[in-house]
Amino acid sequence: MRLSLSTLISHGRMARRMGLGPKSRIDMLRNILTGLVRHERIETTRGRADEVRFYAEKLIDYAKQGDTDEKAMKMATFWLTEKDLVPKLFQVLAPRFENQQKGYTRMARIPNRQNLDRAEMAVLEYKGNPFPPLFAPKRDSDLTLLNQLLKGYREEKEQQAAAKAD
Amino acid sequence: MMACRSAYRVFYRRLASNAAEARISTAELRRLRNAVFSREQARQRALVTRTEKIEVTMQGPGLQGSLLIMNKGVSTPYSCTRHLTEWHVNSSALALVDGEPWPMHLPLTQSCSLTLLTFKDSDPVQVNKAYWRSCAALLGQVLENSFKEEFTVDLLRSPELPVISGAFCCDLVLDPVLDAWTPSEEALRSLTREAQQLIQQNLPWEPLEVSPPVALEAFAHNRCKQEEVEEMVAEDPSGKVTLYRCGDHILLSGGPLVARTGLCSQYEVTAVHNLRRGERGLQRRAQGLSLPLQLQAHHTIWRKLRQRAERLVEVAPPPATEATPPAPQQMTSLPQ
Repeated sequence: MRLSLSTLISHGRMARRMGLGPKSRIDMLRNILTGLVRHERIETTRGRADEVRFYAEKLIDYAKQGDTDEKAMKMATFWLTEKDLVPKLFQVLAPRFENQQKGYTRMARIPNRQNLDRAEMAVLEYKGNPFPPLFAPKRDSDLTLLNQLLKGYREEKEQQAAAKAD
Repeated sequence: MMACRSAYRVFYRRLASNAAEARISTAELRRLRNAVFSREQARQRALVTRTEKIEVTMQGPGLQGSLLIMNKGVSTPYSCTRHLTEWHVNSSALALVDGEPWPMHLPLTQSCSLTLLTFKDSDPVQVNKAYWRSCAALLGQVLENSFKEEFTVDLLRSPELPVISGAFCCDLVLDPVLDAWTPSEEALRSLTREAQQLIQQNLPWEPLEVSPPVALEAFAHNRCKQEEVEEMVAEDPSGKVTLYRCGDHILLSGGPLVARTGLCSQYEVTAVHNLRRGERGLQRRAQGLSLPLQLQAHHTIWRKLRQRAERLVEVAPPPATEATPPAPQQMTSLPQ
């Protein structure tokens, strides 16, 4: 859970209380994390997504130690309730994030559930998945009039700097 | 001017009140050109006697497969946009008809597929070119109209600069009396103001495809424009010349222009440089910078771009160049 004002005044309770108790909470998070590893992009309530994000990142950190590592294998078998996902974790996800130290997941808020409870919802995904991007790129094309003018300006500045350096 | 005089002697005598006075005032010239343009436009419109329908397939995001039934020879891409949304009416700068750039106000002649181009497309190269050309045309219009009646202003065929060069330009030759004149900052500002007023009026650039004799008639009193028409006819295999009218200004253009002046938002005449002494007199190059309504720049960015546009833009003859010399060499001193 993130360090926030509610954490400061939580009187030592460092995790959200969800489910029917601590064991139920862990089981729920295990199920969600299994779903995340299987589908690589899931939709869930915002609190659960935020909670499971920490474990999802931690699991990748363990997986990067390799499947020969005892602790890593123990973690993988505990957190993935469907055991056919263990090879995927070590052979697909761990190599994908080899060059990355943190920030393997991305979370996006989506509209509240159109249900009776109107719960706040979120999308959680592992980066580098094959789905279309969550956020549409907002940048203008490089060929627009203004960008072309700025490109010409930059090139001229570089030329001037190079001429000065000579 | 001497060459065309024989051809239009009768017409000419009636116009010039005293035979010794060879020059016609700018306002009179403007009126004459407009008369030729309006007559030709009316003639071309009268040719469409029977309304025939054509099918226009719209291309573009959100318009896939839309089919519009339009009138042949009457409907323009602009009238097609009016069947869509207000956004299409306001932001379309240029049309692509079967892949060819087509001015927004030129009537469609056959069933075709139509794409509307805006400044924020993923590939706005065509629109940028047309916009730069239009801004140069606007600059020419401003220069021709803002001098006093007694001074002649001849617009030469200006080189088309790429957008990346940082400024658009318009070559001109002023009256020999004004050879010593160098524009002050106030003069440039007043030129900018004139341009802003034209932009405020939101005038359309009306295209008209005419045969060369009509174009020569329109520019009967301007030798360099006539030469330009002859060059364009020699280059173009179809033998047609496109005239444009913006307000009461008639101009020739080497390619399509954008829909209307109101598409410009920021516009500034940045400099007038002396180039060299040609056979007509001292050639000058007016430069400007402009940005469309959809792509406005913050004032700090605008100031930087503006400073760059003040320097003389060189046009190297063989390649399409964007080189701008960093140091101004010949702009401050008058070549004698």
